[in-house]
Amino acid sequence: MRLARGEGPWAWLAAGSVALSLLLLVALLALLAGRGLAHFWPGELVQVELDDGSRFAARPGREERSAEGVERLYHTGNREWLGTPWRWVEVARIVDQQRPAELVIVERRRWGDFIGRVVGLEEDGVALDIDDEAARWTALDERLTRLARLREARDALRQEEVMPRVRALSAEQDVASRARLEDELAAANAEVLALQARMARDRVVLESVAGERLALPLEEVLALQRPNAMSLPAKLGAWGERAWRFLSEGPRAANTAGGVWPAIFGTVLMVLLMSLLVAPFGVLAAIYLNEIAHQGRLTRLVRISVRNLAGVPSIVYGVFGLGVFVYGIGGSLDEWFFSDQLPSPTFGTGGLLWASLTLALLTLPVVIVATEEGLARIPDHQREGALALGATRLETLRRVVVPMALPAMLTGMILAVARAAGEVAPLMLVGVAKLAPQVPLDGEFPFLHLERKFMHLGYHIFDVGFHSGDVEAALPLVYATALLLVVVILVLNLTAIFMRHHLKARHGALPR
Amino acid sequence: MTDHAAFPRQRLRFICDRLATALISACGIGVIGAVLAIGVFLAVEVAPLFVAPEVREQATAGDSLPALASLPTDSLSAAGEQQQWQADGRELVVFQRTASGLELAGRVEAVPPSRRITALAALQGGRALLIGDDGGGVQRWVTLADQDLPVPAGRYQALGSAPIRQLIALPDRQALAVNEANQMGLYQAIGGLRWQGQAPSGEALGWDDQGGLWWGSPDAASRLEIDAEHAEVNWRSLWLPQHYEGYAAPQQRWQTSASDSRDEPRYGLAPLAWGTLKAAAYALLVAIPLALGAAVHTACFMSAGLRTRIKPTLELMEALPGVVLGFIAGLVLAPWVERYLPGVLALLLVLPLGMLSGGALWACCSARWRQRLPLSWAGLWLMPWLALLAALALWLSPSLERLWFDGDMRSWLALQLGLDYASRNAMIVGLAMGLAVMPTIYALAEDALSGVPKSLAEGAAAMGATRWQALWKVVLPAASPGIFAALMIGAGRAVGETMIVLMATGNTAVMTASPFEGLRSLSANIAIELPEAALGGTHYRLLFLSALLLFVFTFCVNTLAEVVRGRLRRRYQRLGGPT
Repeated sequence: MRLARGEGPWAWLAAGSVALSLLLLVALLALLAGRGLAHFWPGELVQVELDDGSRFAARPGREERSAEGVERLYHTGNREWLGTPWRWVEVARIVDQQRPAELVIVERRRWGDFIGRVVGLEEDGVALDIDDEAARWTALDERLTRLARLREARDALRQEEVMPRVRALSAEQDVASRARLEDELAAANAEVLALQARMARDRVVLESVAGERLALPLEEVLALQRPNAMSLPAKLGAWGERAWRFLSEGPRAANTAGGVWPAIFGTVLMVLLMSLLVAPFGVLAAIYLNEIAHQGRLTRLVRISVRNLAGVPSIVYGVFGLGVFVYGIGGSLDEWFFSDQLPSPTFGTGGLLWASLTLALLTLPVVIVATEEGLARIPDHQREGALALGATRLETLRRVVVPMALPAMLTGMILAVARAAGEVAPLMLVGVAKLAPQVPLDGEFPFLHLERKFMHLGYHIFDVGFHSGDVEAALPLVYATALLLVVVILVLNLTAIFMRHHLKARHGALPR
Repeated sequence: MTDHAAFPRQRLRFICDRLATALISACGIGVIGAVLAIGVFLAVEVAPLFVAPEVREQATAGDSLPALASLPTDSLSAAGEQQQWQADGRELVVFQRTASGLELAGRVEAVPPSRRITALAALQGGRALLIGDDGGGVQRWVTLADQDLPVPAGRYQALGSAPIRQLIALPDRQALAVNEANQMGLYQAIGGLRWQGQAPSGEALGWDDQGGLWWGSPDAASRLEIDAEHAEVNWRSLWLPQHYEGYAAPQQRWQTSASDSRDEPRYGLAPLAWGTLKAAAYALLVAIPLALGAAVHTACFMSAGLRTRIKPTLELMEALPGVVLGFIAGLVLAPWVERYLPGVLALLLVLPLGMLSGGALWACCSARWRQRLPLSWAGLWLMPWLALLAALALWLSPSLERLWFDGDMRSWLALQLGLDYASRNAMIVGLAMGLAVMPTIYALAEDALSGVPKSLAEGAAAMGATRWQALWKVVLPAASPGIFAALMIGAGRAVGETMIVLMATGNTAVMTASPFEGLRSLSANIAIELPEAALGGTHYRLLFLSALLLFVFTFCVNTLAEVVRGRLRRRYQRLGGPT
């Protein structure tokens, strides 16, 4: 009865929907942050003994309750013996669980992770005689450091000695200098090979808990950890290092391992290009609409249309981009300038330029609307004052109107960038690739390769999540990528909100 | 003007100004024109689909007849993929092709009494047969995989009333029919009679090596130009059920497997349009109550301090990329909902009841507690309460399943209600896309509600109305056009969203209303199929048509919403509220 005397049940349903919406948002962000960040944490390894006497070492994962009982997922690694790196185990069958400090998890170049023990070291195929556990670890660490040094030297050699000569060779016509270049190239290559031979010296002997042995060349090792023996700061350090590698390395193993650096690079480059295209045109169109065009029925109609274009589905822009840019303009460019490479297309297929143009078109209404809002907010007497002092229209625009509307333009740009960074559907039609071997920006003339396909964070999420063979392995990566994308977009949007707020505070007081 | 002439510097400024204005105008008009050209371009690409087919005699420059592959001479028999057909009076004799040779499969009456079959032709692929009779009638029969005899798949519009003399099968499941009165008709398996006219003099001679059909007499022959690239598409065939090869009855299908040329492509847009609307409907079902409830609470009940924080937060949700929501929906939510299905369905009841019980508990509390947890902050303090209830419902889910659904709700649904359960289904899309659409509706509806002049609500309050009564009877009617506009814009967004639908449904083009089955939307279909579609083909143009449909729909809906919003703004100004 007292409820009915108050605001009534509907008010509570309304309040509940605010709570529910917030709850969903919080849950979503918490899920992304939790799973995305947990991916890099060096979780503890356990050695499990089952009731049939078999043993394995693994990293425990999630549990699932079914009619038969509770099952737990273990990441066992060791794909070459077990077939799959994942294993579901009924919890009731587990007899014994231990966490021996000497268990290691080795990230390898091939075959995924290894989980087991380090039992020895080999140098040029000869086993080193180290009995002491601690001494063996020191020796292993020394060798890993040496390997890292050698690898650095080799990469530097490749970058500075080999690659310039290969490029010069492909451009050089003169026979004599060709011979000289070839000699130098052979010498440099020999040096690289010598370094590689030195890198292949060490091998680490690993033994799985079930007893299989493996002598792994150290250069195959990407990372080696003893999570059970790590202290908390060490774990934090390892976490940071893995997170950094995720951001700075390229993908491996059909995108199910490694990092997302090319995707970050592709996204940023595409968005930058798009901003370069959209900023001048969007601003000019807005200035025309608001300052120059006759404010009549037609202008109002155009304004409504432009507003509406912001609501047109992005895939429609993708279709337009494919039809006009890729097949239309790209096809013609190929016929005129790249006819020697036909039928394999140069610009007549999706690429960086077309993707940027399509997204520029997509975000144009956003920029126009935001800029116009800013322009409309400037009181007319400011313009009239400038004109009364004898300024021409151009001078009024340049000295009075545009500086005052600058924050609004920036807000529009940031919103456009945020929208473009999250948009995937049109890119699927105009140039994104699941794996681009070459980034679109490199040291080769003309440095910025507008026709190349590129990787994109959003598409990476779609591709790895839905098209990879090993979903269990891919899922944490997808979480981490999604977290990265969401953080970038939220930060951009928050900046825009902040700027808009600031803008309102500044111009809100001015009377119209 | 004379001043300008007197001072060159002034004149320069003047010219500069003119130039810049012209430049800006040109740029502005160009940009706006380019953006508006999207619709025009799509329409231009789609238009060839609806061009009426035509058969013409081509004027040939050289008079020499090329080497021709001859046409089948016997017009009363035809060979299909597995079957051989023979006409016998009004009956069709069907032979099955087996390893040992031809085997009689049966006879079936194919034409009405008093008529007889005068021509037969197997269409491309050999799974359909055209039958012409002596009354000018042409009909199509299709073979079924599991039956010996073909079944009729509809009569076409007759070609005059004279007996059909000859049926010539063409590529793309087209056929030319010629009757004794020398009329010629172009038929397409799905499109029916697409062209008719006078046949050129003479008769069909044969095929040249480019696949062109030659006509006339050996002395005066010419090549027939058959201009019927998209004859299988017309407005009816896109939206109505069609009798495709291999089916016993007309079907609504979208299936475009280019892998095997013997398979008939099925271009029915209805399942895709249905999928689009179904996904949008489920999304709106989730989004509308949430968004409107939240808007009402924020605009009318929430404390001003909290409002400046909550509103941008909820609007920020709009920025969440569709690909992230789609990934969460498809890879996390879908398996999870499948596991806790009874609990999730129970949430539909538990959450509203939880909100109400929260209110009831609040009313029972002491005045001190009510002051500490006021309604204006309820958006925050209800959160843990709802989270607790949700967790409880999910925790009880296995017990519920054992208690009422024999331990497995999915098989219970299939047995008791005949509902199939697909892991990625309309319910999942509704949840994920509802979350994506909700902020749009919320922001616009909240603007409309908080824009209503305060004097109205204050007047109602002065007459003794509670806040809810003032809202329901005064504020809501005043803001209803704005709320309508919000719903329209939300619907536009839901219809066009691509990534969420692509990732959270199985993309199966089925036409059911069940929330537990998948769907395929127009937008997701474009994203999947357009990269593979051949440039300029029927499939390609149909995908452009889907894009055009999406464009026109969202454009109209948004324009409507924009006009309504403009009117509302002027009305508020009249009522003396803030601009």
